[in-house]
Amino acid sequence: MSRNLDEPAEEATALQDEALTHIDALYRTAVRMTGNPMDAEDLVQETYLRAFRSLTQFRAGTNLRAWLFKILTNAFINDYRKRSRRPRSTSLDNVEDYYLYTHLIDSGIQPSASRPEDEVLASITDESVVQALGALSEDFLQVVLLADVEGFAYREIADIMGIPIGTVMSRLHRARRRLQRSLTESRTPAACGNGEATGAQL
Amino acid sequence: MLNCDETMDRLYAYLDRELTDEELTEVQGHLDACPPCQHRFIFEANVLRLVGECARHLAAPPDLVERVRRLRTC
Repeated sequence: MSRNLDEPAEEATALQDEALTHIDALYRTAVRMTGNPMDAEDLVQETYLRAFRSLTQFRAGTNLRAWLFKILTNAFINDYRKRSRRPRSTSLDNVEDYYLYTHLIDSGIQPSASRPEDEVLASITDESVVQALGALSEDFLQVVLLADVEGFAYREIADIMGIPIGTVMSRLHRARRRLQRSLTESRTPAACGNGEATGAQL
Repeated sequence: MLNCDETMDRLYAYLDRELTDEELTEVQGHLDACPPCQHRFIFEANVLRLVGECARHLAAPPDLVERVRRLRTC
């Protein structure tokens, strides 16, 4: 159901306040997409300008965060893509089926740690991740940012990017392969945050 | 019961919590019985978690937040 124009101003204020809580996520996505903090600031500002002007089009009860990311994506495509020097897409032939884990096994790495994979995990740093993200084409980068950094579901990503859900899945799979390859090539000794490797997710 | 290749095909859908309950039971059943696959899934889960954590270490500059705050229409 669309919001009515005569809804109380307090509700619009509450929506705008809630929208502001997502500014860090929108900004970091904009920085990665544009590759430039100045362009990212402009893109985020443009996103909020469009969002606040079209609050009446926001469907109550739907995902405000996903709606903001969709506006950001459209603004990027319309106004900022031409400035980005990042390749827009990567051909299928250009992405081999690379797994970091398989590389570990195949290379017979015998580091000092008792569990070689722990050493690899400890080498994933802010710097190496930013570098690996920077090596992705635009299509791969956006799907990784939405899924692995911002935690959107496949269906939400499909809606934000305007592509079929099957394309989201295949693109994400290939993007992660590419990302792992870049991480392997840029292994550095310092860990990200406390970087404790756990099996808590399973 | 799923074999190792079939389980690996479902690796990301499992980690992304995109499997149906039935599919989840199948994958979990294999992982419970197959330590090598379980080991592999834990490794992949940790890679995804670390990539996400590292990439989230960036906040909007305070002056941008203030400029956006002033854009509010009410």
